Amino acid sequence: MIKPLQMNEAKIGAAIAIGFLLFNAIFWLYPFVWLAIMAVSEWRFFDAPVFSGLTNLNYVLQDPEFWNSFWNVVRFMAYFIPIVLISSLAFAFGLQHLGRGKVFVALCFLLAYISSGVAYSLVFTKVFSETGPINLFLLDWLGYTIPWLSSPTMAMFSVSLVITWKFVGYFGLIFYSGLNAIPKEIYDAAKLDNCSAFTTLFKVTLPMINAQLIMVLIFAITVAFSIFTEPYMMTGGGPMESTNMPQLVMYETAFKRLQPGRAALMAIILAGVSYLVVRVVRKLFERDLEIV
Amino acid sequence: MEKIIQAMLFTGILLLSGCSENNSLSDQNKVIKLWVAPNVTQEAFWKIAIDKWNKSGLGLPVSFTTIPATGGAEEAILTALVSGNAPDISTNIFSGFAAQLANLGQLQELSSMNGYSQIIEHRKMASIMKDWGLNGKQYILPLYSNPVLIWWRSDILKDLGFEQVPQTYDEVYALSKKRAALGNKFGLQVTAGKEWRDRWFDYISFYYAEGNGLPYIKDREAQYDNDASLAVLTFIKTMFENRWTALDFDSDDPLTTGLVAGAVHGPWDISYYQKMFPEILKKIAIGPMIKSTKNRPQNKSKTSTFADSKGLVLFKSSQVKAEAFAFINWVFMNDELSILWLDKTGMPPARGDLTTNKMFNDFYSTHPLGKAYASYVDVAVPPAFIEETIDVQKVMNVEMIGPVKFGIKNVKEAAKDAVIRTNKLLGWAK
Repeated sequence: MIKPLQMNEAKIGAAIAIGFLLFNAIFWLYPFVWLAIMAVSEWRFFDAPVFSGLTNLNYVLQDPEFWNSFWNVVRFMAYFIPIVLISSLAFAFGLQHLGRGKVFVALCFLLAYISSGVAYSLVFTKVFSETGPINLFLLDWLGYTIPWLSSPTMAMFSVSLVITWKFVGYFGLIFYSGLNAIPKEIYDAAKLDNCSAFTTLFKVTLPMINAQLIMVLIFAITVAFSIFTEPYMMTGGGPMESTNMPQLVMYETAFKRLQPGRAALMAIILAGVSYLVVRVVRKLFERDLEIV
Repeated sequence: MEKIIQAMLFTGILLLSGCSENNSLSDQNKVIKLWVAPNVTQEAFWKIAIDKWNKSGLGLPVSFTTIPATGGAEEAILTALVSGNAPDISTNIFSGFAAQLANLGQLQELSSMNGYSQIIEHRKMASIMKDWGLNGKQYILPLYSNPVLIWWRSDILKDLGFEQVPQTYDEVYALSKKRAALGNKFGLQVTAGKEWRDRWFDYISFYYAEGNGLPYIKDREAQYDNDASLAVLTFIKTMFENRWTALDFDSDDPLTTGLVAGAVHGPWDISYYQKMFPEILKKIAIGPMIKSTKNRPQNKSKTSTFADSKGLVLFKSSQVKAEAFAFINWVFMNDELSILWLDKTGMPPARGDLTTNKMFNDFYSTHPLGKAYASYVDVAVPPAFIEETIDVQKVMNVEMIGPVKFGIKNVKEAAKDAVIRTNKLLGWAK
């Protein structure tokens, strides 16, 4: 039998939870159900959606632009993940050894993370232009220029450099918190065992921050599947679709080609693939860490 | 506890009611809502025109606002249409978007409205309108038609011993060779940019020039694997192969810095340069679009080019269609407004009598750069009137311009691949 006190607690609990539940129902459940309906419907915004079965799937499966954008995600990850992991680790190590002004330096790096994507993309477009300041400098001093954003092979690398610049402070702080949590005694023990710096890094430090490494790795993967502003502003998905990411394809399919049904299906496929990649990465690299 | 829940419900209802439209108010105060391009010069025109209309008492008052700046005019208009907040009339509509909206049943057919034929007759627009029809119906009235031409820095040409502006590929090669010898200087800005719309200002402009206005898509079939296209692609290839043009000019306007001697520009740049680079503008000589030879067919006295043209549409959702069209009729039939448009924007109004009507002669006698543009209106061809404009121009970029620029494909292969992919796209989208 439920006592009156328990009833009251239940009511208070429900009242507190109702906001969260309503929020999720409106901003998560409703769009999700609508997304699923759209994925199997022919709809062009103005008319009522009509059930179209597998028509959208047939279209999406045969759309070379969409599948090429997945290949671009792989290319982006190949550049971005190593660069951002190494830079963020270097930043975290540097911050650890910094005596004064730690907060100031950390904030300076975090500024990039909170900056407007549109604003810095425009700045980097000019900086990386074939006739921009970096290339003018290279031309004066070395006699050649680098087609940072105008070559199909270089453009993705340049975009990944800009996104690394954005995330290095944020990811670096995650690593910094992990490094600070490693007990000093473990390093003392490594010293006693005459471990080299290299061995200490790979046998002590990196295994001890496995949780942070996995966290940053998963963040980096989700960034790879979700970037939009930088390629949209800096390259428009070009040259020759070399920086055309899935989010750009979805946006153009929904709002330029006016085919929201196809875009919805693309979104579902993208979510499924990114979830699978995250699961595989966790399975392969995540370790249970226990300090005894 | 119940009070807390009641308060939350009440707040929710208040919030929801705030989102709904107040219909009763709009019924009482009928106005024609007009959206115009977010552009200072066009706003200045519409402000004066609408003041005149509202004071004249000839019909329902008009209130105008610029198209809300979101991602682009198209997104803003689509959002407004879907959410039921669309204006009655909108300007700044390009042909491909008009075709999309017409196919979606969002546009009022203008050719069925009272007074439409008088507008066409009065402005001698019959030949212009043939490029703007969809299934024999007209849904958009072009407001302006901007031929794109090449601006040359006369001071640079003179320094290199060129008395005339280059008009052929060979002349551009000769100029570029001399410029390249100076180190990091280029002859012509060949590609306009990375956006799909930039193809209007490079490949399509060059193609119309070379093919004397030949369509690149006819009856929903791509035609651009022909001799004209191959000549243009060979020109592009030669310019990039020899590094006579840069892969991008994103840093600054290369004509103002002297990085290039020539670049494709529209008449809208006249007022911009007047304001920002008046000294450079004095050195500008306007020349036709370049082609392989100066020879033209007997019926053409000038080299064809691309017409950057945008128009005005009346939405089907409008509750005041007849009244709104009366306003459109007044704007298009009023010659004073055509002069005012020219004066404020510098862009040739879409009229077939620009070079024959005396009232325009007076204006152009004091505006030589504008006159150069007006003289090309009759050979300026708008883009293909198809819903898939964006996709087609992306295909041109991906299959043709890009691979030719980087030497990945030969020109024949590039044109063939682009045409095959375009036809697949057009067939699929049918």
